[in-house]
Amino acid sequence: MMRKSLTLVSLCAGLAFSSLALAQELPQRWVSAGGALSEWISALGGEAHLVGVDTTSQHPQTLKALPSIGYQRQLSAEGILSLRPDVLVGTDEMGPPPVLAQVRSAGVRVELFSSEPGLAAVDDNLKRLGSLLGAEQQAARLAGDYRQQIDALTASIKSAQVKQAAPGVLLLVGHAGGKPLLAGQGTSGDWLLKQAGARNLADHQGYKPLSLEALTALDPDVLVVSDRALGGEAAVQALLKENPGLAGSRAVREQHVITLDPTLLVGGLGPRLPAALERLAQAFYPAGQVSLAR
Amino acid sequence: MRRLLAPRTLFIGLGLACLLAVWLSLALGPVNLPLADTWRAGLRLLGVPLSGEGLGQAELILGQIRLPRTLLGLAVGAVLALSGVAMQGLFRNPLADPGLVGVASGAALGAAVAIVGGSWLGGIDEAFAPYLLSVCALLGGLGVTALVYRLGRRDGQTSVATMLLAGIALTALASSAVGLFTYLADDATLRTLTFWNLGSLNGASYQRLWPLLLVTGGVALWLPRRAQALNALLLGESEARHLGVDVEGLKRELVFCTALGVGAAVAAAGLIGFIGLVVPHLVRLLAGPDHRVVLPASLLAGGTLLLFADLIARLALAPAELPIGIVTAFIGAPFFLFLLIRGRG
Repeated sequence: MMRKSLTLVSLCAGLAFSSLALAQELPQRWVSAGGALSEWISALGGEAHLVGVDTTSQHPQTLKALPSIGYQRQLSAEGILSLRPDVLVGTDEMGPPPVLAQVRSAGVRVELFSSEPGLAAVDDNLKRLGSLLGAEQQAARLAGDYRQQIDALTASIKSAQVKQAAPGVLLLVGHAGGKPLLAGQGTSGDWLLKQAGARNLADHQGYKPLSLEALTALDPDVLVVSDRALGGEAAVQALLKENPGLAGSRAVREQHVITLDPTLLVGGLGPRLPAALERLAQAFYPAGQVSLAR
Repeated sequence: MRRLLAPRTLFIGLGLACLLAVWLSLALGPVNLPLADTWRAGLRLLGVPLSGEGLGQAELILGQIRLPRTLLGLAVGAVLALSGVAMQGLFRNPLADPGLVGVASGAALGAAVAIVGGSWLGGIDEAFAPYLLSVCALLGGLGVTALVYRLGRRDGQTSVATMLLAGIALTALASSAVGLFTYLADDATLRTLTFWNLGSLNGASYQRLWPLLLVTGGVALWLPRRAQALNALLLGESEARHLGVDVEGLKRELVFCTALGVGAAVAAAGLIGFIGLVVPHLVRLLAGPDHRVVLPASLLAGGTLLLFADLIARLALAPAELPIGIVTAFIGAPFFLFLLIRGRG
């Protein structure tokens, strides 16, 4: 009897030890340079592991309390090392390269993730983050849900398009309403608009300053406003105040102006994206029943 | 011009300040290294056989991060300040700075071409990609300066006034070309361009350091030999000629040293303003206009000031970092104003 319980105790201890050893191998102290990545880490329950984030990591709000390592393209090797991280995660926008080399040579694991807009990148990023955090199952579930929601939205947009043609949309990115930029082809904003079932009327490449005359000529059905300083209705009001000429456009007259959180436009696709896409799509197809749910 | 300090006092003071700056630059950083570890790691790097137990991190930070950074700061500061003296001597104008002959704007144009154009080209050879920016900046700076110099020449004579105006015109032209590239750039390259224009000693590595150290060494050895000729030039071109100075040769040397020095500095650390304009002034305010003093003193003062600025740049927002161009002007300008007001009173 005595011997049996002893065996049991040692077995339990062995099991506990081996799982402890496994936990030891996973990186414990994380520095994240990438808004969407930080959000995914939090969503996977790894927020407690984060010891520093870059300036693009704005969500969830609690991340703002962590030490800031600066802008993701302008990192400082010694600054990062002073946080004694086990791993530095960032998107392919992270740099400059000599600093990454210095961080690597100090024995810190540097993991690069894709910031491409697209579901394949989300799948892959989640899978790797999950295995780094030891939360593979949760990561697989999140990736599955994500894909399902986006697919459902795409399907419902398709059926809504039977009754209503895809609206022509322009996305304006500005700061407190002043001098807005127009999101052209190949931008993350363009991907968002198309994913929400719109036609992006701007056919130039990249973000370019807006010309009111060009906007009038393009005559969008809906205007999407993404303001870095103001949110909600205040952003729309500021835009109209700074650019009085907009008031005459059809989208403004018919009050088809919606706002978009600008943090969604940088650093790859994050967990808040499906809800934002749903909001956009519902504004694009007011009569159609578009939603993330099947 | 009144002199506040004897040259001897100035050199002792600057020498001590420079040593202090180097020591602080090696000893302080976001990573908190114990003083004893810094010493032991430093001695080991110098080849003293000490046991390296537990020193791996300290050696890496000192040898791979702080030492190249300190050397880069010293070299960039020194060569920018020396070029400033050369330009102010050449134009006989205290407002002259190394940007006047177009080297800075040319380098900025080269950098814009590399940053924006590089992202269009996409697949540049891996081995060459890190150097593209530096090489383009250096070529841009040298090219525009050569053009300014060429435009200033007529019948074997170099007109400083024409060079000045040509410099202004080409700077405007280069700036508008940079503006065009800024317009064509996408978000990512735009941020890179903006930060490059503010300068940084971040990410210094030995491969990038050696060319700059060679150029700085060359300029620092060459310019002080022409101190007497620069003094003569202060009196005016024809006066200098009568005193036996080869004025045309001197002009050529000054422009060449500036283009090479500033071009190399900008290629290694981006655009860092203020040092080239103000350090020679500071030295002249302290020690009078004799170039035999101003040249070596500016070399020391430029390196020292840049190292102090870099300390602030890396410590103020740690673990993040400020671009150093912001700091140099922020601490230098008030100090300069203070000296101006003091000198007047």
